[in-house]
Amino acid sequence: MATVIYDEATRVYPGSDRPAVDALDLDIKDGEFLVLVGPSGCGKSTSLRMLAGLERVDGGSISIGDRDVTHLAPRDRDIAMVFQNYALYPHMSVADNMGFALRVMKAPKEERDRRVREAARLLDLEDYLDRKPKELSGGQRQRVAMGRAIVREPKVFLMDEPLSNLDAKLRVQTRTQVAALQRRLGVTTVYVTHDQVEAMTMGDRVAVLKDGVLQQVDTPLRLYQHPANVFVAGFIGSPAMNLAEYRVEGEEAVLGQMRVRLSRETLKAIEDEGGDRVVLGFRPEAVGVVGDDDDQPAFPVTVTVVEELGSDAFLYGQHADTKDPALAGQTVIARVDPNAPPPKGATVRLRILPGKERLFSAVTGLRLPAAESSG
Amino acid sequence: MSTVTAARKAPQSPLEATSRRSRWLVVLLLALALLWTLVPLLWMLLSSFKNRTDVTAATPQILFAPTLDNYRNLFSGPNNLGPYIWHSVLAAGISALLAVCLGALAGYGLARTQMRGKRHLAFWIISTRMAPIAAVVVPLFLIFRGLGLIDSIPGLVLAYLTFNLPFAIWLMSAFFAEVPASLEESALVAGCTRWQAFWTVVLPLTKSGLVTTFILCLVFAWNDYAFAVVFSGPNSQTLPIAASQLVTQTGVDWGQLTAIGTIVVVPMMLAGLAVRRWLVTGLTLGAVTGE
Repeated sequence: MATVIYDEATRVYPGSDRPAVDALDLDIKDGEFLVLVGPSGCGKSTSLRMLAGLERVDGGSISIGDRDVTHLAPRDRDIAMVFQNYALYPHMSVADNMGFALRVMKAPKEERDRRVREAARLLDLEDYLDRKPKELSGGQRQRVAMGRAIVREPKVFLMDEPLSNLDAKLRVQTRTQVAALQRRLGVTTVYVTHDQVEAMTMGDRVAVLKDGVLQQVDTPLRLYQHPANVFVAGFIGSPAMNLAEYRVEGEEAVLGQMRVRLSRETLKAIEDEGGDRVVLGFRPEAVGVVGDDDDQPAFPVTVTVVEELGSDAFLYGQHADTKDPALAGQTVIARVDPNAPPPKGATVRLRILPGKERLFSAVTGLRLPAAESSG
Repeated sequence: MSTVTAARKAPQSPLEATSRRSRWLVVLLLALALLWTLVPLLWMLLSSFKNRTDVTAATPQILFAPTLDNYRNLFSGPNNLGPYIWHSVLAAGISALLAVCLGALAGYGLARTQMRGKRHLAFWIISTRMAPIAAVVVPLFLIFRGLGLIDSIPGLVLAYLTFNLPFAIWLMSAFFAEVPASLEESALVAGCTRWQAFWTVVLPLTKSGLVTTFILCLVFAWNDYAFAVVFSGPNSQTLPIAASQLVTQTGVDWGQLTAIGTIVVVPMMLAGLAVRRWLVTGLTLGAVTGE
């Protein structure tokens, strides 16, 4: 068990002028489950492979425990990795696959057998130890890959989208199993996924990457509630946060008939940038439906689709106020009462619940100092 | 059950009839191809057991009194076939073995290296295989003479490598490319050196490739005449040379010639049959990952 530290770790692929991973700074605590998440091409897999030693580090350093491993061979790093395609050796039995690392280390046969059996019991694989990988189902193969990592008893687990080859139902099941297993073993884990739900449900902390640059690293809840920039705000959460740029008039952002009051700090920040616009975001659940006889400021939305999930219903609509060009063509997503969702085609009046808006710079995309009433 | 029987007895749909007819056509074509391939071989085999009059009879003899004279003559006398066979086995065997070993290493390198112009390099390697032997023979002869490799088994082995090695590299690199890189990476992370990963994980997965490459290289070298006729002498003459010596100005000994032909063909056929399981998967590729 050990800490993992990325210190300005950089990787530039030959023939490319943009780094695949750009000065990544990450401090992963002992026993922590850290998830690297981002869209494809964001550098999350490269970051993991740099830690594994499978990818060169062109700048900065990486250490595991107190040891600088930046230029060590993979075999000297004391890590175990679970690959997306599991990378099970087809010519070896499940037991041989799981005991492979110990065999390479020349561990005594009795110890090897004992550790393989233990891991097999933990993962419910005891009946399959003599089988070849091709005789197993996808879920079983995935467990063998996990078992192979566990048997190694490494300092760090590295997992590269290990659930992406499973079907949806199994993936959800395995997700909790993997997370529970990691808590139980207490081994520091770096986990790569493109699925933000996986990231949110599994990680102690989540690191969001985009274009090789770390955007934010924080607990799932803080990422959700206090995204550091527009990208994180839009990436984390499903359905996504409503995000759009609005005009600032006086002390308010203008959303058609609705106006959102901005705090002094926010206004000052906008002024300092020399802009008169602000990016305002609000989550689908931060929206209230305003009755027709209610004269609260609100914006009308024409319902195009309602997704009814049973426990929730999400309304997808277009701004009905076509007079304001800032609103035209903009989609709004709102969570509505699942027992009485508005019909398709209807126009409903929505308002952002006070203090639930998130404000970002229209210039840099970074979060602006919070509004006074921020909650 | 009854419905199935009923369906079977029902009159054929036009589609079924067509598929049945096309199946017969395939069988017929295959039979023709088989005849085309096997008849000359069979004829050679039969002729090798005929005496001098039967083998040259104007009306081909199917039924005749078989004799082992041709074989007996080949293996008797001062110029018997033994050393020729030995030379062939040595030259072809060693060169095929070397081609597979070096080809596997080079092919692995070629398959795994990421570098600019890799495809050009691969093409250049295989293109050397396309050069006609006649173009290589003269320069190679001069080099061999300088190195004292004329009329020696090492000389022949080297000469055969000129066409076997590029082929082996090219074929093996195709096999290695089929093995997912993550398998090796997994082995590297598990504690293997590059060589261990190659030896314990990658190589066992390309077994069919190794067998295919070896057999094909063996056949190419075994059948060679052009290099052997130029580079070999009394100490290194191979089977095809022995066969050519039977064509003399006074006539052709067809009986012995077909007997040598049989001796050349049969071992390769047996080898091919013995490893046909790997040969088939090998030649179709794709089946190596076990997925």
